[in-house]
This record gives sequence, structure tokens and C-alpha cells, in this order.
Amino acid sequence: MLLPRIATLLTALSLCALAQAAPTAYPLTVENCGSSLTFQHAPARTVTIGQAGTEMLYALGLGDKVVGTSLWFNDVLGTYKAQNDRIERLADNEPSFEAVIAKRPELVAVELEWMVGPQGAVGTREQFHELKIPTYLLPSDCEAKDNLVGSDGTRLAPFRIDSIYKSVSQLAAIFDVQARGEQLNEQLKASLAQSIATAKKQQRKDVSALVWFSSAEMDIEPFVAGHKGVPDFMLSTLGVRNVVESDEEWPTVGWETIAKANPTFLVIARMDRRRFPADDYQKKLAFLRSDPVTRNMDAVKHNRIIILDAMAMQGSLRTFDGLEQLASAINGYDLSQ
Amino acid sequence: MSRRLIRLLLVLLTLSVALIGGVAIGETSIEPSVVLQVLANKLWGAGYVLDPIDEGIVWNYRLTRALVAAACGAGLATCGVILQSLLRNPLADPYLLGISAGASTGAVMVALLGVGAGAISLSVGAFAGAVIAFVLVILLARVSGSASGTGQIILAGIAGSQLFNALTAFLITRSASSEQARGIMFWLLGNLGGVRWPSVWLAVPVAVLGLVVCLWHRRALDAFTFGADSAASLGIPVRRVQILLIGCAALVTAVMVSIVGSIGFVGLVIPHAARLLLGTGHARLLPASALGGAVFLIAADVLSRTLIKGQVIPVGVITALVGAPVFALILVGRRSAR
Amino acid sequence: MNTVLSCAGVGFKVRGAELLNDVSLDVQRGETLGIVGPNGSGKSTLLKLLAGLREPSAGHVQLGGQALGKMSRRTIAQTLAVVEQQADTDDGIRVFDAVALGRTPWLSALQPWSPADDAIVEQALVDVDAVHLRNRLWRSLSGGERQRVHIARALAQRPQILLLDEPANHLDIQHQLSILQVVRALPVTTLIALHDLNQALKCDRLAVLERGRLVALGEPLHVLTPERLQTTFGVRAHYLTDPFDGAPILRFLA
Repeated sequence: MLLPRIATLLTALSLCALAQAAPTAYPLTVENCGSSLTFQHAPARTVTIGQAGTEMLYALGLGDKVVGTSLWFNDVLGTYKAQNDRIERLADNEPSFEAVIAKRPELVAVELEWMVGPQGAVGTREQFHELKIPTYLLPSDCEAKDNLVGSDGTRLAPFRIDSIYKSVSQLAAIFDVQARGEQLNEQLKASLAQSIATAKKQQRKDVSALVWFSSAEMDIEPFVAGHKGVPDFMLSTLGVRNVVESDEEWPTVGWETIAKANPTFLVIARMDRRRFPADDYQKKLAFLRSDPVTRNMDAVKHNRIIILDAMAMQGSLRTFDGLEQLASAINGYDLSQ
Repeated sequence: MSRRLIRLLLVLLTLSVALIGGVAIGETSIEPSVVLQVLANKLWGAGYVLDPIDEGIVWNYRLTRALVAAACGAGLATCGVILQSLLRNPLADPYLLGISAGASTGAVMVALLGVGAGAISLSVGAFAGAVIAFVLVILLARVSGSASGTGQIILAGIAGSQLFNALTAFLITRSASSEQARGIMFWLLGNLGGVRWPSVWLAVPVAVLGLVVCLWHRRALDAFTFGADSAASLGIPVRRVQILLIGCAALVTAVMVSIVGSIGFVGLVIPHAARLLLGTGHARLLPASALGGAVFLIAADVLSRTLIKGQVIPVGVITALVGAPVFALILVGRRSAR
Repeated sequence: MNTVLSCAGVGFKVRGAELLNDVSLDVQRGETLGIVGPNGSGKSTLLKLLAGLREPSAGHVQLGGQALGKMSRRTIAQTLAVVEQQADTDDGIRVFDAVALGRTPWLSALQPWSPADDAIVEQALVDVDAVHLRNRLWRSLSGGERQRVHIARALAQRPQILLLDEPANHLDIQHQLSILQVVRALPVTTLIALHDLNQALKCDRLAVLERGRLVALGEPLHVLTPERLQTTFGVRAHYLTDPFDGAPILRFLA
């Protein structure tokens, strides 16, 4: 993994950052997705809903402040496994309201707004705030996004990577670990720059791609990444055009349209969930290679298929890992054909 | 005899035009000449040099979809005709017997609960659910029934549908992510996207067989005009005919729903439209409804792919959006015919 | 053997309620047998049992000496036709087609519709004076017209035995009389459930039902005695003779 290597390179910068990082002044008020959250002190007990928030807290070294986790899409990152095993997993999917408050959290960190929004699957933010439990929504899911329209919400503006840096900074401020927060952000920004540089080495112009998440049935229209979402951001940052034009986060597009668009390469999601047969990336590969139409696509014929963790396609720290993976894959292709 | 031949040729012609339309129009635009060349290549080895993607799209995607749409539409419309005739109820349609609701529950159990651990596809789960629901409905009808309990079957069907629909809703609300729920909803609302040649070899023979069985009983169906007792007094073995034809309708519907999901209104609206245009007499009503259903569903599928560029709307949504006002028009038409 | 249709000891129960109890009857060839009785006495039920539309809970029915329950519906329908008290449809069926349904027991894959069938349907329409209605939609007919079409359909079946359940119920007086005249003139055996006791007098024989039991069977004047009318029907009545043609008429008193 690139992250540790970059971390050592940037030790000097980190030292400077440490020197400049100011401790949090309590009481701290944070404006977060339409709510005003006030903290008297760093929360000692946190419950997370959503793997992105969980791993962000681990990356900030705040694992000992987490008392319960939920909503998992993939296995936890290897480096955090030991730590994570010691923390109670309230649910693989969404937890019940009572399960969350039974842990007496002082903060609930939420990855997806529809968990705690007006039609909250767990409970509404008001319900939590009434019990004096602040809910922190990762800005990547609420900024310029209307989560009441479209099944996964509709982005009003393209996803901005700044929202991840913002999440890191805000969480760091809330927990009074500003220095570690700035250090993490520096690492992330460096990783991003490196990825962009790697991708630029690819000679060919007009590289296009499609990101396939899963499908309700194997042969049916797939869920693919639309414009403005996280996968689209990843593609455009690396100079790749998304062949899908819909503004929905995960629209269903027919294979006919995809085949005619003939993207340069394909990105398929790897995940642990097995609800639909297409969740298994092996099955996705088998389909692409056997279907009489898709097997004639350039990307399939020349085996330009990149397998990416599903977590990387959601606004989280893993997005940066995904970017690295994409960049080196793009660089590795001989696109003269 | 020649009048019959002319009518048969007209039917085949209409069907062919609809099929070709369904193949020529799609999500992306392919030149009509290319479409014809693909068909020529595949049907009699004409040997044109074509882009393999275009060829694959026309032959493996669009043609199979059009054929299954035709079979499905014909099958559902035929089932609608015989259910309306046997149950003496103008609101009867293939989904009345709880079949569609059961299929939805079966599919949802496979998709959301992981019943069958990934070894069973949505289609198999749907078929199993459909059959189970139908059997339960019939049992309920018999337990509460009387001699020729058509009223009982309808009520039992409504009860069964409500039960299974509630089960489906419960399972969906319990599901993990919106994306998962959306995936199953997409299927539930009817979708021809996953159709390939294997589905054709299932759907077309089933539809044809269903139509043939019903046509064979056309006089018996006519005899039901004034009720079951009337049919009996006209020499129809009522029990046997009811069991055979309703069972046939259930089977055909279960197969169709398991292939393409829940597509409503076809079995309800098309028979009424046919009756409005042709009057009674199942000898004409059955083939006309089958043809109408086939053309209707081909058109609905094409619309579902072309209405919004780059995105596919579930076919069931289109049939409902079109079917509801058409049904209203038919009701008005019947009123003014009095 | 002059008995064309008979039942012996038939009973019929529905959910514990006994609608018919130990009824035995022999219908003679060519006769017009009337079935009378107050409401709820079981007239319709008896007709349904004799037509094979319901299975008796006790006893058996025989058609031409054979057990009715063992015969195929098609065979029964070629011998026996039924006109129900009310049978309706929402379908947009034409009168001609509705009457043509009566040919169903005679048609098959090997014997499709032929001009002979057309002729039979036409004749049936003539018999009930409904020729002018032949192209009308069922929906547009009055109650009486519908009843005549039902009878025409039964006639088109060319049965040997005709069972009618109160056929003149909705008809105006002209058609009441003409229908009954037509029915009586037919060379078929007729079983007819009647309400109007004066019309019942014109039958060859009468069967009187009371609360599911057959209480009298015989010629009308022997059966419909003033005592019978009092005990079974609960009315006071006596006979008059019509000075016009000497026919007996019943006069009812409140």
C-alpha cells in the first residue's frame, strides 16, 4: 500500500503540521449538514453507522473512542482488523435505534444521510438530538445532494473530494486530534496527486470507462455509476470520461447502450455481500466474457477490466486507494489498439 | 376457408411488423439496413460483414426481447380472456389468483433473504412463489366454497394477493440498502432486460400451448356466457373445464411472471379492448387478444427503453401508465354502447 | 316404458338445511308436468336435481332409465334443456349468438356449425316470436325479451325434455300466454315450475311441493282442491266455470 510509504516521505511536513496544529477550544460548535452540533468535550463513546465513518475514525487513531459499529459493505481494512475485532458490531446493515442508544454514545457518526434523515432508517436526527446525542453526517453524502429524490439520492453538483478532507478535519476537531487530522489530510492529498501524475503518463487521449456495481439479475440492466457521484469523480480526476450520462448516483443503463458506447476499460465492484448473483465479481467477469454482445466490447476483448472494492466507490478513505489502483491500471494499459 | 386464410395471414403480418419494429427501435440507434442485414445473416447466412456488437445487439438482445414480449403479452392476454369468461367477472385478470403477488414474494425471498444461497435465481424463486400462492388461493376457495364457487375464487384470490403483497413489502422494508431494495423493485415492476434465447425457448412454446388449449375449448368458453349452470345445461363438464383452464392460466402466468416479473394491465385491458371491437365468440376473441397482447407488450418494451435516453424504465410502469387511461376509455366506450 | 325422467327418494341438503325430502316422481313421455308450491317449497331445487345440475344428497335420478349421475353432460344436454329463472350476462352478445349457444351439445370438431344449425336457430326465434330481435344486443333487451331468448336457446337445443323454472315471471300478459301456449304445443316432454295457479290448471299433471316434500301428484283438478289450496298455499279459493268455453277457473279470496 502506498500510504505508509508516502507517510515516511512526508514526516517533515507532519512535524511542521504538528507544531502548527492548535488544540480544540471547547465548547465547539460544528455546522453539519443543516444541524448545529455543540460539543463540550471530545466524545469518549462513539457509535458509527457506515463503514466510511468507522475507518476514518480508525485512521485518526480514535479506535478506542468507538464503542459500536454498523453498516458494513466490505471486510475492514487489514491494518485495523485487530482493533475492530474488539469493538462490538451492532449490525451488518442498519442497526435499530435502541441498539444505538443502548451504547450511550456521545456521538453518532453516519455515512449515509438516509440512515438518519427525515425518513431515517435508524431514526431521525431530531430523535437523537432530543436525547442529546449529536449525529455527524459525512459531508460527502449531504453537500449538494438531495437524498429525498432518486433511490440513492441525486447529486445537485458533482462530488468534491474536499468533502472528505472536511470530514477528516471536522472529526479531528471534534475529538481534539487536529494534528493527526492534518497529517492524514496531507497524506491523502499526496496520494491523490501521485495518482493523477501516474495516470497522466498514459499516452492516449479520450480514454473512457464504465463503473459497474451490480445487477438485480445477471443478464438484466446493471447499476452503473452516473455523473457527479464518487466513481465519476475518480474517473474525471484521472482524465477518464464516464460513458454514462445520467445524473442519478446509480442509474440502470441497458447493456445495449453500454456496448455501443464501447468504453476503453471497465471497472467492476468487488464486495462481500451476496444478495444478487452479480455481487460476485467473478460472475460479473464470466458474464462479460460469455454474453454475445459484451464479449465483443474492446475492454472485454483486451481484458481491460479493473476490479475495485465497493468501498472505494463510496466517499471514504478507500477512495484514495481506489484512485491509486485505477491510476496504475490505466498507466499499465497499452491503448494503441 | 379462404377468409380464414386471409385472416391468418393478416395476423402473421401484424405480428411480424411488430416484431421487426421491436428489433429496429431500441436504446441506441442502429441503421434499419444494418438490422435487416443482421437478420439476413442469421436467418439464411447472407454473409454481410457487420460490427459484431451490432449483430449481437440485434440478434441476442432485441430479437429475443421482442419475441419474449410477444409471447408474454399473448400469454397474459389469453389468460385474461379465459379468467374473465370462466369467473364471469370483468375485473378478472391473471393476477387475480394471487399468482403475481406470490411470484413477487418468492423473488424477494431469493433476493433479500438469500433463500437458496445464491443457487436459485430470481426466476425460479418467483415461479415457486407463484405456484404456492395459487395453490393456497384454490384451497381457500374450496374451503369457503359452494357448488360452482366463482365468487369464492375471486375473494380468495384477493385475500391471497393481499397476504403475499404484505409479505413482500415487509421483506423489502427489512432489507439492507436502498440499492438492494431498488434492485428487486426494478424486477418486480416488470423487466425484459435479462431476456436471452433460453427465455425464448421457454416463453414462446408456453404461450402457444396455452393459446392452443384455450382455443380447443372455445365453444365451452362461449357456453359460460350465462353462468356455470347454463354451461352445464349446454353439455359442458363444468368442473373439468374450470380446473383445466384455470390451472392452465395459472401455469402460463407463473411462467411469464417468473421470466419477466410483474407486468400488469395486459391481461385486464387487452381482452376488454378485443371484446369492444369484436364482440363475443371466443373463436375470434382468443386469437385477437393474443395478438393484441403481443403487439402491446412489444410496443411497451420499446417505449420503456426509448422514453428516457440512456435509461430503462420498468415495463410494468409503462403498461400501467398506458393501460389505466386505455381501460378508462374502454369503460366509457362500453357505457355509450348501451 | 313411458317414463322419460324420474327421481326416487331424492333429498337435497345445504348446510344442514333440508330443501328437499324424499321426493319421487315419474315424468311421462310427451306430458306437460307442472310443479307448484309456495315460495321456498323446493321447486327450483327439484328442477336442478332433475336436470343434473346438482347432485342429490339422497336418492337418485334417472334419465331414460339410466342413472343421471353416470351420464356425460353432453349426452344429458342432447336430451334435456333447462331454462333458468334468472341467467344474465354483461357480455355484448347478440340475440342470434345467444340462441346459437343452444347448439353447443351438438357441435364438435367433426361436426362444426352448418346451415342446418342456422335453420334451427331461426326456427327457435320464430317459436318465441323474437325474430325481430335477432341482431339486438343482449344488454338492450327488456326482462321479458331476455326470457324469450332463453327459451329460444333451450328450443335450439332440440331436446326431448324441457325444464323451465318459472319462465313467465317477467313477461307481460300477452307473452305469458303465448309462451305457455308454445311450450304446451311442443312435441317435447315439459316440466314447468309455475307460480300462477290458473295457468297451472292447463298442465297435464301437477306436482305440489310443500316445504321440500311432494304432497300431491295428479291431474290439476284432482290435485288443486280447495282443501289443498288452504293447507299448502294458505288461501281460500273455489272453482268457477267460464261461461265462454266451460273452462274451470280458480277464484281466490282474501
